[in-house]
Amino acid sequence: MTEKPLAIEVSNLTKRFGALTAVDNVSFNVSSGEFFGFLGPNGAGKTTLIRMLTTLLRPTEGRAVVASHDVEKEPGAVRYSIGVVPQAMTSDLDLTGWENMDIYGRFYGIPKKQRRERIAYLLETVGLSARAHDLVATYSGGMRRRLEIARVLVHRPAILFLDEPTLGLDPQSRRVVWEFIQKSRGEDSLTIFLTTHYMDEAEALCDRVAIIDYGRIIAIGSPDELKAQVPGNDIIILTTKGIPPDTEARIKVIPYVHNVKIEGDVIRVYVDKGAQNVADLIEKVKIIGVSIEAVEIHRQSLEDVFIHYTGRSIREEEAKKVSFLVGAGVPSKLR
Amino acid sequence: MKAIAVIDRDLRRFRRNPVIIAMSVIMPIVYLIILGNSFQGKIKGIPLAVVNYDSGQYARRLMENLRAVEAGPRTFFIVNLNDQKAAVNGVREGRYKGALIIPPDFSKRIILTTRPELGLFTDNTDAISSGALNEAVSGALREIKSGYTPIRENPSEVYLRGEDLYRKVDYDQSLVPGVVIMAIFMGTMITGVFNLVMDRFLGVDESYLLTPLTKGDIVTGLVVSGLFITTLLALMVFVLGVLITGIPLSGGIGQCGAIFMVIVLTTLGLLSMMFIFLGRANHPRIVGIFSGFMNVILFFPSGAVYPIASFPGWLKTFARINPEAYAVDALKALIFKGVRFHAIIGDIAFLTLFTLITMTIAIMTFKRTL
Ligand SMILES: Nc1ncnc2c1ncn2[C@@H]1O[C@H](COP(=O)(O)OP(=O)(O)OP(=O)(O)O)[C@@H](O)[C@H]1O
Ligand SMILES: [Mg+2]
Repeated sequence: MTEKPLAIEVSNLTKRFGALTAVDNVSFNVSSGEFFGFLGPNGAGKTTLIRMLTTLLRPTEGRAVVASHDVEKEPGAVRYSIGVVPQAMTSDLDLTGWENMDIYGRFYGIPKKQRRERIAYLLETVGLSARAHDLVATYSGGMRRRLEIARVLVHRPAILFLDEPTLGLDPQSRRVVWEFIQKSRGEDSLTIFLTTHYMDEAEALCDRVAIIDYGRIIAIGSPDELKAQVPGNDIIILTTKGIPPDTEARIKVIPYVHNVKIEGDVIRVYVDKGAQNVADLIEKVKIIGVSIEAVEIHRQSLEDVFIHYTGRSIREEEAKKVSFLVGAGVPSKLR
Repeated sequence: MKAIAVIDRDLRRFRRNPVIIAMSVIMPIVYLIILGNSFQGKIKGIPLAVVNYDSGQYARRLMENLRAVEAGPRTFFIVNLNDQKAAVNGVREGRYKGALIIPPDFSKRIILTTRPELGLFTDNTDAISSGALNEAVSGALREIKSGYTPIRENPSEVYLRGEDLYRKVDYDQSLVPGVVIMAIFMGTMITGVFNLVMDRFLGVDESYLLTPLTKGDIVTGLVVSGLFITTLLALMVFVLGVLITGIPLSGGIGQCGAIFMVIVLTTLGLLSMMFIFLGRANHPRIVGIFSGFMNVILFFPSGAVYPIASFPGWLKTFARINPEAYAVDALKALIFKGVRFHAIIGDIAFLTLFTLITMTIAIMTFKRTL
């Protein structure tokens, strides 16, 4: 779709763990400089995909070329060109922030002077200069995450992989991380590959998003393109006390209604001009015999795209049991 | 060299956890003190009940000899009783380790040469005490016979003059090489591959598997940082062991240098061997269980406590491929015999070869993916 060179080329990539197919015949391309998002619920196969692209897991089938190198044939060359922030926090708690970055730079063989300048600059950018010489064990979860993102930029990678970078962070820390990602992108014309199960994150950051479920890509495109695939710009969500059998069919015949989805006691009605039509819709639904508890109008989001394709929502309660290993400072209010 | 960064990372993390290092020095030293004092190499002070029903000259002679043992080597101390039953019951009840009964016709039978007999009832559930008692009483008995038997009738009786080849080595001193080896073993279990397993368990390994570090960088880096720490530990234990047991080291720089070299080689060998066995373990508990097992498997057949010569054939064969056996042999030679390099060349050669082979296998079998 663009004439830019490709940063990532994936064709028919599959990973099986015994009988389980974690990534199922996935193909896509990411252009150089693009911000590409992989959106999917828990267990969709996001981490498995990233691990294959970053040489940590061997694909069962298919091929992946990252930064012009085949991940299976030239893993060493791939590793020089990428920076990866894995899902679990991996900085060393008993080293300082500076030491963590410095040792990482040495793993890439970066000369001392260059390393020192780069680290000072990156720590400044993530707002950790003042804490650079404190042990990471004393950092908050958000600080640790920012350090880890900064750390994998020391060697100026061409492609940055972020596996759920804001997992387990509070909304404010998430925003700080977003800002930093966007800033580093602008400066180095980085290609970024991000996975997330947060709709808003994908929508706010990504040029293009692939929605993945059970290891398969079910939709791919820019957030606007994806949303355009779902008819009806607004969604009226009716929470009810029970729904008679023929409700769906009877709502569907209303002229401004594009689609109806029923999930338990909740009816989602995809409509044009939600604000104007809501009063009329409530009236008509009442006539059908549905008693309404609550009404909500909202604008189409990627969540609706996901629901449109899977019939399920990516539930927040499904959200992460963050590994207990993510270390000190992670907010404990995670469910 | 990127491996240097691996070493640096590992050493920095260790420096921030000094408790582990302190424990690894203290534990072998405590072992030295406890084992050195609980078992002196010779048995001493076993309670022996003696009931003498004979007033003849040979019984008197025997009693004199027994008292000489009591006063001299002090293998046992004598409790005189006058009832055979009480004495045997005392052994059964654990008050004595043995009861010696001298029957009324003992002297008479010696004179008449009609099979004189003594009764020695020992608590044979305690093999060491009962063996020592048997030996000591037999010794006392042999002397009365030799003293009163005409020489020509007993030509095999030869006076044995003991001659020590080396300076006298106390039992606790003889344990020092073993304790140093133990410190090396402990060091290799808390460094090297253990740090890799711990990183894997914590999920931290991903961060460096994603970098251009090669298998060789990772394995040699961890082995070398383990070498630094373990050598430091072993040297501290060695110095403390020498001071506590009072071993005179008179060989100067050459002796110390050779000892240092043996420590370094043994450490390298054990570190790389552990990498082969544990390179793919994913839980620190596996390292814990395995190290307990390996400690026994390597340490007891090493000759550190029991002489290898007394092992059965199959265990001797095992000792021949046991790196700790070579290390103990070399350290014993260097510490006690003042022997220089030429005498331990075989040990050095084995340890070098062992290290090279295990290190190569460790790097080859290391898995660079998750
Ligand atoms: N090493 C493994 N062995 C067996 N099954 C695995 C392994 N790794 C992942 N899986 C399975 O593969 C599927 C995809 O897992 P993956 O971690 O890629 O999902 P994910 O999209 O990253 O989920 P999350 O949002 O929870 O991180 C899951 O069903 C998981 O149980
Ligand atoms: Mg994941």
